[in-house]
Amino acid sequence: MIKYTRLEILRTFRDRRFLFFSVGFPVMLYLLWTNVFGDDGSSDKTTGLTVDTYMMVAFGAYGAIGAALSTTGPRLATELQDGWLRQLQVTPLRSWQVISARIVTALTVALPSMLLVALTAVITKGVSLSAAQWAGTVVALTLGVLPFAALGTLIGATVKGDSAQPAMLMVYFPLAIIGGLWVPVSNLPSFLQDIAPYTPANRMAELGWDIVGGNGVSGAGVLVLVVWTAALGALATFGYRRATVAA
Amino acid sequence: MNAITFSQVRKAFGAVQAVDGIDLTIPAGRSIALLGPNGAGKSTSISMLLGLAKIDSGEISVFGETPAKAVEKGYVGAMLQEAKLPSGLTVGEIADFVRGLYPAPLELAELLELAGLTELAGRRADTLSGGQAQRLRFAMAIAGSPRLLVLDEPTAAMDVESRRLFWASMRDYAAGGRTVLFATHYLEEADENADQVIVIAHGKVIAEGAPAEIKRMAGGRTVRFTLGEQPSAGLDALPGVTAVEIHGATVTLRTDDSDGTAEALFKKTTLKIRDLEITGAGLEDAFLSLTK
Repeated sequence: MIKYTRLEILRTFRDRRFLFFSVGFPVMLYLLWTNVFGDDGSSDKTTGLTVDTYMMVAFGAYGAIGAALSTTGPRLATELQDGWLRQLQVTPLRSWQVISARIVTALTVALPSMLLVALTAVITKGVSLSAAQWAGTVVALTLGVLPFAALGTLIGATVKGDSAQPAMLMVYFPLAIIGGLWVPVSNLPSFLQDIAPYTPANRMAELGWDIVGGNGVSGAGVLVLVVWTAALGALATFGYRRATVAA
Repeated sequence: MNAITFSQVRKAFGAVQAVDGIDLTIPAGRSIALLGPNGAGKSTSISMLLGLAKIDSGEISVFGETPAKAVEKGYVGAMLQEAKLPSGLTVGEIADFVRGLYPAPLELAELLELAGLTELAGRRADTLSGGQAQRLRFAMAIAGSPRLLVLDEPTAAMDVESRRLFWASMRDYAAGGRTVLFATHYLEEADENADQVIVIAHGKVIAEGAPAEIKRMAGGRTVRFTLGEQPSAGLDALPGVTAVEIHGATVTLRTDDSDGTAEALFKKTTLKIRDLEITGAGLEDAFLSLTK
């Protein structure tokens, strides 16, 4: 399983499209957003963070989610269709090992986009945090990727081949927007503000906002993430079984 | 010990009975061809043998284990039809990765040599030609040094030269006392590369034997001509003729000596032969003659 995880990580980092969209793109968005909106030095109403810091966590989370979704969803869908996973099924590697490796991969490849956004924030905007806050944020966001790894797996297992990519984007963008990853939640229409606390992207980023803001982590937030992970994980397991276990 | 046994194995897809009560016993260390036309039940049988498809009824054992268990223990290596190669990896990386999944694999150098990939080890798998990609699939199948190698129509996408090289690699691998089972719809491939041929059609085993026997049973060629109103008596006594079929004015003779049959038609009969046509019996035809 370790060998398979290593292989998957290697494949992901060799994929230029992945590097561009999941690692480079969030950094570009961060620079764009903070330079367009970040001049007034005001702080976000709900979190009390400056735009530079708020957006660092938001786009770090945005990139991490994108990385996790794209290494699970479209890739699994393609591999289920083109026979590579079938080929793995006739080796001693078991299905649960395949899925576990893919989830570890999703969590691992989420790291560079977070770190690069953070580095950009430090260099261009002078964002500074304590070592404990940096470490806490990275750990929290990495674990916060879990429900998205499950969601990606579910999409990959249930949506066929080429449709998986658009299907993934159709959940990715709305979740990011409602979650307050593009504009602060307080700037969203009020009905979206009401939904936001129940969505995983919002609660994942909230972990980061709380830690960089020096606040305690919200218990309700962790609960929402755990519930999403459990529910999506169960559906993904069921979907993947149906897609691979012989009829 | 037997490498593979099938006992009364059945499998249906909806109303189609793909495998209809197959019994097989394959001793270890032999090369077996599973020969049959498209849709005969070869791939379904192989899927069940590899644990990729459930068995409706009956039982399959692979070295005394269930198919899933045998795969898990690393007894089996397989080359599936049309399995794509993963993107972003080199030939050497893929081969080495698959090796690493098995308890007692081949050495990487030996593996690449056997599959004829030594020169290509550093190439990205997505840039390989059809024949080269098929060699890599073969390498993945033998990487773990499995006791049973299963090949599902391995040469389907290959040119003549690739085929020749492929079968040479396969025989090298089999020479180590391993069991090889391959599916094909080419009688020649079965004849040249197997110790034993199992013919299946309509989900059943219809013949089993040494390649030469099967080849003889399948009949070599057909001689066809228009007989019109002339009597057909005596045609079955012509040299080489194994069967005579008459449809309206047309006669089809199955023969294992088409030259002799044609010569005798003109020299030893007084028949007026029109529209003479000699063709190699398609496998489909040969199987039809076996099923009768």
